[in-house]
Amino acid sequence: MDEQALLTNYLIVGALLFGIGLVGFFSRRNMIVMFLCAEMMLQGVSVSLVAWGRYHNDWGGQVLVIFILTVAACEAAIALAVVLTLFHKSGKLDIAVWQQLREDNQAAFVDRDLSALAPKPAVQWPKLTPAGIEPDHDLEEVTHRSHL
Amino acid sequence: MNELVSVIGLGTALLAAGLWLVLPRGAASGKALGAVLVAIGLGLFASRVPGLGGWGASVVFYLLAGVTVLAALATISFRKPVYSAIWFGLSLVGTAGLLLFQGAQFLGVATIVVYAGAILVTFLFVLMLAQPEGQAPYDQFSWGPRLAGLTGALMVGVLTLAVLGVFQNPDLAKRPTAPFPSAELQRDILADEHMAHLGGQLFSKHLLAVEVAGTLLLVALVGTVAIVAQIRRPDQGGSSHG
Amino acid sequence: MFEIPILMVLIPAFPLAGTIVTAIFGKWLKHEAHWPVIVSIACSCALSLVLLSQVMHEVAANPLAVGWESTFELWNWTGVPEAIARPEFAAPAEGAAALPERLPFVVNVTLRSDPLTSIMLAVVTFVASLVAIYAVGYMHGDPGYWRFFTYIGLFVFSMTMLVSVSNFVLLYVFWEAVGLCSYLLVGFWYEKPSAIAAGKKAFLVNRVGDFGFVLGLFLIWTTYGTLNYHDADGIAGVLGQTRLATSGGFAAGGVATVICLLLMLGACGKSAQFPLHVWLPDAMEGPTPVSALIHAATMVTAGVYMVTRCTPLFVASADAQQVVAIVGATTCALGGVIALTQTDLKRVLAYSTISQLGYMFLALGCGTLVAITAGMFHLLTHAFFKALLFLAAGSVMHAMGGIIDMRRFSGLRKLMPYTHWTFLFGGLALAGVIPFAGFWSKDAILAAVHERGHDSTLYLALYWVGMITAFLTAIYTFRAFFLTFYGPLRVPHESGHHAHESPRTMTVPLMILAVFAFGAGMWLEGPGDLAGLLGQTPSLAYQSVPRAIEHGGSHLLVMTISTIFALSGVGIAAYLYLGDDASATRLASLLAPLYWLSYGKFFFDPIYNALFVWPLLMLAKASDLTDKYLIDGLVNLVGSVPPWIGARLRSLQTGMVQFYALAMVWGVVVLIVTLLVWPAIGASLK
Repeated sequence: MDEQALLTNYLIVGALLFGIGLVGFFSRRNMIVMFLCAEMMLQGVSVSLVAWGRYHNDWGGQVLVIFILTVAACEAAIALAVVLTLFHKSGKLDIAVWQQLREDNQAAFVDRDLSALAPKPAVQWPKLTPAGIEPDHDLEEVTHRSHL
Repeated sequence: MNELVSVIGLGTALLAAGLWLVLPRGAASGKALGAVLVAIGLGLFASRVPGLGGWGASVVFYLLAGVTVLAALATISFRKPVYSAIWFGLSLVGTAGLLLFQGAQFLGVATIVVYAGAILVTFLFVLMLAQPEGQAPYDQFSWGPRLAGLTGALMVGVLTLAVLGVFQNPDLAKRPTAPFPSAELQRDILADEHMAHLGGQLFSKHLLAVEVAGTLLLVALVGTVAIVAQIRRPDQGGSSHG
Repeated sequence: MFEIPILMVLIPAFPLAGTIVTAIFGKWLKHEAHWPVIVSIACSCALSLVLLSQVMHEVAANPLAVGWESTFELWNWTGVPEAIARPEFAAPAEGAAALPERLPFVVNVTLRSDPLTSIMLAVVTFVASLVAIYAVGYMHGDPGYWRFFTYIGLFVFSMTMLVSVSNFVLLYVFWEAVGLCSYLLVGFWYEKPSAIAAGKKAFLVNRVGDFGFVLGLFLIWTTYGTLNYHDADGIAGVLGQTRLATSGGFAAGGVATVICLLLMLGACGKSAQFPLHVWLPDAMEGPTPVSALIHAATMVTAGVYMVTRCTPLFVASADAQQVVAIVGATTCALGGVIALTQTDLKRVLAYSTISQLGYMFLALGCGTLVAITAGMFHLLTHAFFKALLFLAAGSVMHAMGGIIDMRRFSGLRKLMPYTHWTFLFGGLALAGVIPFAGFWSKDAILAAVHERGHDSTLYLALYWVGMITAFLTAIYTFRAFFLTFYGPLRVPHESGHHAHESPRTMTVPLMILAVFAFGAGMWLEGPGDLAGLLGQTPSLAYQSVPRAIEHGGSHLLVMTISTIFALSGVGIAAYLYLGDDASATRLASLLAPLYWLSYGKFFFDPIYNALFVWPLLMLAKASDLTDKYLIDGLVNLVGSVPPWIGARLRSLQTGMVQFYALAMVWGVVVLIVTLLVWPAIGASLK
């Protein structure tokens, strides 16, 4: 096999993974997806490192990828904790909620025609009580006289 | 060289347009066109890349690479986060295959086990917890898809140009970093006792780094608990309400 | 026990130590802040007297042809080797090898003692200690009490150093230090606009003089190749023994004249001589002890001291001497005439100071040994009686609640008996009434000028100017005296019910000074033999300084005339101001133009304002406008660029996390292109 060609091919695949991950990281607004994309960028780097390791006949590339795996695990743990915290505060996984860093004179980022795409509220169908079943009622309600 | 630059430039432009089109953009369609543009762009890239020498290897490699890249594209283009996660899993499988193809057996397996098995599943858990209704309004839109596509494509183009330019530059090719003969590789990085060699490397030359990595994991564990512990007590103090 | 070098060091060291202690601990000492300074000045005074007696002893033991001096080098301050090509008048010191082609510039901190220095030290420290004691009462309760005594200590240190150093550079340093203290003390009440203005004026007018002085020093340096007074480092000092022993060791002609005129300009500034006298009257804005100490008794004598010290240089230029004499006489008459009509008691005394300093310069301008010693004699007696007068005026001011305008009070002799009597003693001394101190010294000056006038019409004319001024002196002194202490008792309402005699700390110094104002002249003229002692100063022992020109009997004639003039002056003052007010008014209307000129102080201030201050002010205003609009405009223009760019860049701060990542990636792209892509393929693209 042509080692140099192999390296070239792997590097380009790595670059593609990295680039696609970048695009996803930039444009997707779901924080979970953003982290998927970040992991994808790490994958691109891992691929390149392994290729370089083979090209130089050096274990360093693979060892480094092992550490990348370790760090990625840590990162995922912390990131998920942070995402959960943020989610707890805003009720959304939307990264665009967190834009307080902007300058005073900057307009906030607003979604386009969000309402049109928002899921329609479920229709409140009338609830009928099936025959033979006791309807829900307030247990606190006085149903009998306490004295005659 | 001029030809290389123009081909890669064209490929980058197509890639940028394709990436823009495949990203979720509300009601607008064009995902299929985007995929086609990306494919043409990648084809342009591939036309400038040297072959692997031997069609068997080429087929396996291009298959794996294609699966990986397409799954990656799908990851960023699907609106439902769960789908994205599943496609990312496929991309990881492709990556694992690519690593195996390089002879990195341990890493190939570890990628699947650690990423697909642990990290991805954790992500899915969170996703299910946080967003059980599937896609949210903010998944429908991308932030600045054109700029993002352009930047990503530019990154890819520039990196490709760097890689190809270096290896096709006659002056730089004379550097003493020529690849090792195959026999040497067989004795070393492609040896049969792959795991033994890798383990030997890890626990001799990189022992300190392993220890540090272990510490890092511990610290991350404690940190995660500390962060999450805050949100479990929303009524005590105002720290959890921003 | 007291070696002369130790004394020379200790005399300035005491006030310096007192100053430092007061400056550091003054805040905590509060009302006791005067102790360090008073004790240190008193010690300094005692040591000065010891030094004086030692010097007298030494002089008596070694009557040398070139005078007696003793120098003590403390340390080398600065030095530049081969600083100047050997000038014509540079000479090797006695017994030294021939001089090299290029001479070094060396400034050694060297203290000296000789009769002139030791007398000056004694006078300065003596008057200063009395003034400091007086100030304890006068400044009582002032919020800047410790600050005042710090300045006083610093002033005494500067003044003692000024008269002790043996080098022109150091003389200049302490010359300026004295000016600085003057500025600080005149502007002591810095919340008072007029005090600030007066301090500024004193400082700026002195700058004019100092400018001339420093130019004179440059010229001395290039002419003599050294700035030491004494012989040092193998080079003959400017006023050193070697040069004094040989005739013709001094530059003559144009250079000498220019040097002397420049030095005289410096002396004019410091000693308030015409035309730089304008600062002294305004300097009365400071506290009265300051007026007494700095502007009457000691600081203004720095110019006299310097010219006396440089006598050999002046002897080399007859023209310069005549200028000194004319300036002196002019100032003398001018001060006398202006003092006649001033209504502010302290201002009268200020102009009388100017006038008396004029006498001293007139004497120095005569150039004979007798005249110069007479000038120094007058300096001594003047220090006593003028300090006395100022302190007495301060006592009046203290009692009158800060009012010093003589139109507002009168008849204070019953109210303030001590002040009245001591003022009378001072006044008699100033007026030159026999046998008070001023009589002897003024008479010595007039006699010396008269002698000089035998073969020179100019000096004869100056003699008569001096004589008439003596007459005016008697009039204005007793005008002030009668207006203040006689007539019906009137007290300004500002004094409230506190119009009373001053406390003991103020009256005791007055009485001590009164004793000196009475007896110092007689003693120094007779048994003190000031002239004999001073004659042993190296500068004055120079053989080319003419001794007295012998014309027997003239002294007695001068004495008679001046006594008649002084007594008639007192009589006229008594007639005009003790009787009805109308006579003085009638005389004023009779001499209306002269009165107008005198009352307006000859309009020096408006003239200087129009000639110098106003054009400079306009220039400053123009510069200010240029600075404000042109320079600031340019600076602001440059300064507005970053905010403009920043305002444009603000729009980059969108707050979207992803945008920041994107921007970072753009940076990475640029880096990759410049570091990887361009080196790899750039060359082949061309």
